[in-house]
Amino acid sequence: MNDTPQKSSLADRLLAGQTTALARAITVIEGEGPAVSRLLKAIQPHLGRAVVVGFTGPPGAGKSTLVNAFIAEMRGRGKTVAVAAVDPSSPISGGAVLGDRIRMAEHTMDKGVYIRSLASRGHLGGLSASAARVADLMDAAGFDVVVLETVGAGQSEVEMAEMADVRIVISAPGLGDDVQAIKAGILEIADILVVNKSDLPLARRTTRQLEAMLALRVPTDWKVPVLSTNAVDRTGLPELADAIERKAALREDKGARDGLSGRTRRLLAQTVAKYIEDRILRGQGTASEAIVTALQQADIDLQTATIEILNLLQESIANE
Amino acid sequence: MSEVLTTPARVLVTKIGLDGHDRGSRIIAAYLRDAGMEVIYTSPWQKIEAVVTLAMQEDVDVIGISSLATDHLLVPKLMAALAEADLGHVRVVVGGIVPDEDEGDLLAAGVSEVFHPGAVRDDIVSSVEKFAAEATNARPQD
Amino acid sequence: MNKIDKTGSAAADWQQNYDKMIGQDRVIKNRSGIEVEPLYWPQDDASGTYAEKLGFPGADPMTRGIYPTMHRGRTWSQRQLIGLGRPADFNERIKSILKSGASALSIIPCNSVYRGIDCDEVEPEILGTCGTILNTVEDMDISLKDIPIDEISVGLNDPNPFLMLVQMLIVAENRGIPWTKITGTSNQSDYISHFVANHMFYRLSLPGARRVQMDTITYLAEHVPNWNALSIVGQHMQQAGATPAQAMGLTLSTAIQYAHDCQDRGMDPNKFLERFTFFFDISISFFEEVAKFRAGRRIWNTLVTERFGVTNPRAKRFKFHGQTSGLDLTRQQPLNNIARVTAQAMAGIFGGLQSMHTDGFDEVLSTPSEDSAKIAISTQNILKHEAHLCDVVDPLGGSYYVESLTDAMEEEILKVIGQIDDQGGMYKAVESGFVQEMIGASALEYQDQIDNGEQIIVGVNAYQEEEDASSRPVLKRPPQSHMQAQVERLKEVKAARDPAVLAKGLQDLREAAQSKDLNVFEAELNAVRAGATQGEVIAVLREVLGFGQPLVVA
Repeated sequence: MNDTPQKSSLADRLLAGQTTALARAITVIEGEGPAVSRLLKAIQPHLGRAVVVGFTGPPGAGKSTLVNAFIAEMRGRGKTVAVAAVDPSSPISGGAVLGDRIRMAEHTMDKGVYIRSLASRGHLGGLSASAARVADLMDAAGFDVVVLETVGAGQSEVEMAEMADVRIVISAPGLGDDVQAIKAGILEIADILVVNKSDLPLARRTTRQLEAMLALRVPTDWKVPVLSTNAVDRTGLPELADAIERKAALREDKGARDGLSGRTRRLLAQTVAKYIEDRILRGQGTASEAIVTALQQADIDLQTATIEILNLLQESIANE
Repeated sequence: MSEVLTTPARVLVTKIGLDGHDRGSRIIAAYLRDAGMEVIYTSPWQKIEAVVTLAMQEDVDVIGISSLATDHLLVPKLMAALAEADLGHVRVVVGGIVPDEDEGDLLAAGVSEVFHPGAVRDDIVSSVEKFAAEATNARPQD
Repeated sequence: MNKIDKTGSAAADWQQNYDKMIGQDRVIKNRSGIEVEPLYWPQDDASGTYAEKLGFPGADPMTRGIYPTMHRGRTWSQRQLIGLGRPADFNERIKSILKSGASALSIIPCNSVYRGIDCDEVEPEILGTCGTILNTVEDMDISLKDIPIDEISVGLNDPNPFLMLVQMLIVAENRGIPWTKITGTSNQSDYISHFVANHMFYRLSLPGARRVQMDTITYLAEHVPNWNALSIVGQHMQQAGATPAQAMGLTLSTAIQYAHDCQDRGMDPNKFLERFTFFFDISISFFEEVAKFRAGRRIWNTLVTERFGVTNPRAKRFKFHGQTSGLDLTRQQPLNNIARVTAQAMAGIFGGLQSMHTDGFDEVLSTPSEDSAKIAISTQNILKHEAHLCDVVDPLGGSYYVESLTDAMEEEILKVIGQIDDQGGMYKAVESGFVQEMIGASALEYQDQIDNGEQIIVGVNAYQEEEDASSRPVLKRPPQSHMQAQVERLKEVKAARDPAVLAKGLQDLREAAQSKDLNVFEAELNAVRAGATQGEVIAVLREVLGFGQPLVVA
């Protein structure tokens, strides 16, 4: 236990706003082990201040350029911004080329902006397994706005939905069949829809199509706007920032930290699932093998098999 | 849950100075990715202070500088800036066109290795892996 | 006396054009006493293939060359790239190169100029090592001292927004030389290729560069009519990793884009296409390069007729400059590079280029030394005079291999053009990253072939030797004191300006860039006349038109 003071000093420095500490802490938290839980514990009391904004959308929509413009807009409003830009890791090698921040280069030297490039590291959702923790660290470090940027592939919209307070889905005209590119599920999740590259001829058509689809959605206390932006000349950015601030204010009024508990919830669900998956796939000896065989031979059904495996695991955990 | 996960090495691939040819650095980025590393890739003409900031924010293990023309002459300044920012543990490699008579100066300034045209992929990758491990060990304890 | 059998009227036409153009022809006999004719072609063409696919030089479809006489009449311009440190030193080098036989100039500025900044904003140790510092009209004037720019064709490696050309035009103005006498090419006017394949020359955002390019072409067409405002640069694509067929396809697609842009401005293709020139890489894949150029020439001929309705034969000519590819050269056993450059140069000659630069053997080590630059020129002269490569027009024409390969390359090239058409044209294809991905994939594939040993590179992955590092030539850098003096001089020149005049010049430039109908190039000329340096002009244009970020596809 004698290294606890050192670990908390990393946390202390992070909480004091030192970006070097934040950078180190993110590396630590992408790993595993006691250091991680110590760090997380230390930052717990300091969470909930930042507004977490998620940006997702298909490739070619101009996400990074839009995030870049968004950072400028928020800086103009006196807010500090931290960005976690996630790119997929190669499923073959496990490596990645992370180039999102190229389009945000104008903010490199601004002390009020922190950008971190993350790889999905085998996580199939489009975000990384540790994205929730990274957002928490940025929150604890004192940034007013935390941006999660991810490619709209697989389940990333859903993941992002659970982690972010405000969820932005970006599309751009001319990306093939515009509306098909926006899967139906996204409309349930998005808080704000953005049609980027508003200077292109088909932009208005895309906007109208989205508005029509939204009309079919079950109404809640938040009316999803469809905003037009041009990330290059910054048209529409003030309106986007206003909409984000309005949505963020809603969650405060409700007194609930949707995003925060959502992140924790998802993290737990993921971790538990992985734990179980590892054990089943690796095999734990004759008892679990018997269940697998029984299922294969249709002696028991899937439901029963699930319960039996869970009981088995419960026992084996108790014995560990 | 006692598995030890090896986290991928993080390498910043960038260019300082005036040259803008980036075919070489793109190929290196692909090599390193295919070897399982995470490459933070930038556009050319980075100022030294920007490279230091990037290395800090991204907590990289290795910086790869792609240099043509005489941009390598700025590398000693980069080494000094890294040391001053408490990033002395980060290893720096330089690849591109570096005249022989300048290589000694770069190594003396703390560069870990200089790669010349014709350098073989496997050699580059294994060197970077080695340096990433060195950087991890040399990192100041938190 | 020319003794050529006439078969069919096409041959007779060619003969007539040839006689008119050649003037006094020589009788050329080889060492064995055999007379070498200017051209060889089949005695009969029953299938019509010869007429359809090859034709005669200078006539549709131009496969065999854009002139009836080609190199037998006039050999290519020897246009060696030069640039060195201080303008005064550069002037010396130009004179020396002209004396050793180069017939045209190609000026390279310092990398700081490519970045669009003046020398007083650069770390001194990286100044002037790759090219000349050209920040002011005075720099250009000193560089061109005693050089007859009204007689020599000048190639300017001068990217958008073309400040070197501005400076040179003002030098001409000050010397009393009318702009109608200024000939040459804006070698780096292809902003699309810079955006996608060579960020060395990238200075303005894509839409900003487009605006300036069109203004410049318009202005030059009227005021500097013998200047080639546009050089479309396939070299960048190929150097970035595109295959030869891809490079040709992408270049032609870029040319189509620019031609449309010109048409949209109300310009006449029969006129402006005369001033389109091309700039290609010549790799060491010998026959592939020959076929690439022949196919390109044929495709261009058809393309301008079909897409732009061109009837003026001069507007169908595929004029190009070739540069031997530095990427094929090695650091190991550098003298081998002389053999490599020779092979590349031969491919360019047989491909029918109009102007050529050959690399020095120490290209990969540093900026070429004076000796290696001289050898590079001698290489061309040896091929010309000793190997007699210019005695016959399109000598490889009719070879089963070369004709088959030309057809195959044409097919590949047309495929690429089709893909770009599908993307909505080159401008869009480059904005979206489509082209960058294509090139990046090819680059990796080629690198893999070298890494695997599939492609042998002598001295690198085969036939290696232990080398003595001391035998390699040493890089000569300009003395720090010279560069310091250059910076001091710039400060003096800046201080001596009339601030009110300068401010007005820059303000007018700003307004021109903001407006939609004022000509930015004209405003640049006025700003520089008012004393603005290249860095100051570019700073204003970046502010108004955007610097943007070159799209990098990792």
